[in-house]
Amino acid sequence: MNSVSQQQNNGTALGSENTKNAGTTNTRETKQASGKQLVAIIFILAMATKMFLLPIFLIQASGRDGYLILTVYGVFDLVTLVPMIITIRKCDVDFFELLSSVLGKVGAKIVVAIIGLFLFFKLNTAVAEILNFYGTNVLADFDTSLMIIVLLVFLTAAGTHTLRSLSRLNEILMPIIVVCLAVLVAIVVLTGFDFGNILPTVADGKSFISALLKHPAWVGDFTPLVLFIGRTRTKKYTWCFAAGSGLIGTGIAVFFAIALSAAFGNVPMLIDSTTNLSNILQFSVGNVYGRLDMFSSVVWSVSVFIEAALFFYATCRCVSFVIGKNAHFIISICTCVCTYVVQVFALTDPMIFSLAVTSYACAIITPAMAAGIPMIALVCAVIYNKKHKNVGQAAGRQSA
Amino acid sequence: MTKRKKLLIYKALLFLFAFFIAFMPSTSLRNKEVNSRVIVGILGLDGGGEKVRLTAQYVMPTEAQGSTGKDTVTVEGETLDEAAEALNTALGRRVELGHCSMVIVGKDAKPELLGSLMTATDVAADVWMAAADGKAEDLIADLTDFMSKTGATDANFIAYSARKAHIATNTLLGFLSDLGSASKTAYLPLVEMQSGKASESGDSSSGGSSGGGKGGDSSGGGSGEEGKGGSSEGEQKTGMKVEKLAMYGENGRVGIFDSTSARGVAWVSAPVEKGTVCADVEYEGKTIKGVCGRLLKKHASVKIDEKTGTATVKIKAFIEPHGDKFNTLFATNSKKANDALIAGYKKKIQGEVESAVGSSLAATADPLFIGREFYRHSPDYFKSEYDYYSVKIKYDIEIALK
Repeated sequence: MNSVSQQQNNGTALGSENTKNAGTTNTRETKQASGKQLVAIIFILAMATKMFLLPIFLIQASGRDGYLILTVYGVFDLVTLVPMIITIRKCDVDFFELLSSVLGKVGAKIVVAIIGLFLFFKLNTAVAEILNFYGTNVLADFDTSLMIIVLLVFLTAAGTHTLRSLSRLNEILMPIIVVCLAVLVAIVVLTGFDFGNILPTVADGKSFISALLKHPAWVGDFTPLVLFIGRTRTKKYTWCFAAGSGLIGTGIAVFFAIALSAAFGNVPMLIDSTTNLSNILQFSVGNVYGRLDMFSSVVWSVSVFIEAALFFYATCRCVSFVIGKNAHFIISICTCVCTYVVQVFALTDPMIFSLAVTSYACAIITPAMAAGIPMIALVCAVIYNKKHKNVGQAAGRQSA
Repeated sequence: MTKRKKLLIYKALLFLFAFFIAFMPSTSLRNKEVNSRVIVGILGLDGGGEKVRLTAQYVMPTEAQGSTGKDTVTVEGETLDEAAEALNTALGRRVELGHCSMVIVGKDAKPELLGSLMTATDVAADVWMAAADGKAEDLIADLTDFMSKTGATDANFIAYSARKAHIATNTLLGFLSDLGSASKTAYLPLVEMQSGKASESGDSSSGGSSGGGKGGDSSGGGSGEEGKGGSSEGEQKTGMKVEKLAMYGENGRVGIFDSTSARGVAWVSAPVEKGTVCADVEYEGKTIKGVCGRLLKKHASVKIDEKTGTATVKIKAFIEPHGDKFNTLFATNSKKANDALIAGYKKKIQGEVESAVGSSLAATADPLFIGREFYRHSPDYFKSEYDYYSVKIKYDIEIALK
């Protein structure tokens, strides 16, 4: 018992010492997020980008089977969530300290650099979707190069604040997002979609496989959760709620994908990024209740901003750890500049974005990273715990 | 750099950006932009071979209140995109199609144009659709006259049929989805104008407007110029008639279903749950004509059996009988009256659905979407053996009186 408490004391001491180090955090507080906030974050990560433009891309590629592919991705991500949750539960030190302790400082920096690049890629996927959505759906004459600055200001704010701030922001917005989702679900159910249109399943096996292999860029949404390792105050059943929230979030994303697949299953060539759920619901209840659907759709899309902010925050922390400096403001500005360059100069053409995210390289690397990051975290946590248990036991024997 | 300095820089940047957004040219000139747009309420589509004709019923917002009358304009282009672009130049303003609440399709309009309409313009996927017996251009001109006469501002009149009447309605996406299904059939409600002499109508407050066709399949009127069309002299439009259905195949219109067949389609394929059902009831050896009831709810489906090549049309209708004839019947013997009513309604509904099937065979259309059901549940059978003309159709009609 003594050894365990000593080990915990050691861990806390190490933690507070490392708060001065780069990448870990910009506050001295080690436990920045509550279990409730973790559950809310998992919910948002499970569905945000998966029900944004991904269903449209999948329906374009595989017709009425688009929802099935999204289900496969959702299940894959849920599987990767399991080791992540176990690591958050078992580990008392933060991710960067964990890696440094097990892999050594250089090894940890190499691994974190690779993870940072992956998170930057995910960030750009989310940002490209946001710009696409607002540029073609919500606002006419949308000047991407100008309007992206609004988003980047928000991301900089997220990057310079703490994990606690992001978690709190998400916690505040979460009820509004849930209400909007409930409104959209109710509208879909009440307006009588012909869900039979999703049949027959996998009528064209070739296009199904091709679409499945071309879109894994959208998996790995739970990877920013590595930042919650060692930084979350949890209770006894937080893990059950965390898993349940991931399941519900994925279920909602799949439900909306089914609705879109049913609507466009016969005419997949007609769906494009100007189509969203609101577009096809326009006259369903609009004349009676006003544009509840539009309002809900726009407010719901805020969840993608949260997800983008999390990817941005995680990218900045990785950069901070790799360069060994806690200059969060400068790092955030630099990451913003990189994002601006990528979005405005490289991904302006939707075709380039499409080619980039559907490339085979992307199809291999993204799932590998999505599964690899939680597994690395879990393995390192097991080794770390074992090592510190032995150290604790040796210290106990010595003192005895 | 201290935290305070960073915060100051951050705030200054935010302020500068907000200032820039607030005073950039497109923001400060927004009021002018509102006055440079035209809002289209109804859009008509004709042609599709060499020329596409677009007719728009529009409202032009102006600064002066009460000066936003409806008018129509027709433009032509080789493609739909060109015609849509020509609308802007014809009116000298940017045409807002996102507010369009109805699209009317003319007799000769090609269905593929509707796909372009959905993807290449701002017209929403769930905009209501209707068919004109002749040119969409003439119908829109008549509708504009009628709306001016009645003072109606909402062009979305088909929405009433979708909710309250027993009419099979469709939306743009619904139409294209039906046409893209295995049945390769889609339907649209056919809108006809009812005409009457100005003096006979008893309402000549606005009178017939400018000359032109007389609705329906008549020609002339409304083409190419603003404000044309409408009733001929001494005749004005007294109302609309939405009873028939225009049936479409891949290459265009394949037939018109009369009101009985149209009701048959509405029973099975449309999500309508309201309307009136009137049946002749056999009671104690007598035939009581026109015993009416209000449809409260219905469940309809088509069940298929690939082994026997059979499709069973299942309908369960919840009807609330009303009126003096029903009251008289019910007062004498409620049980017997109920049974007689159920039998009467069942016969009526089955007759309407059978009529729809008969018309569909003649028009080579499948408006009950039997082929789609075979494709959904037995795709292999559909590909290898299915033939609409050899399917045995059975009926299972259930009536619940409320």
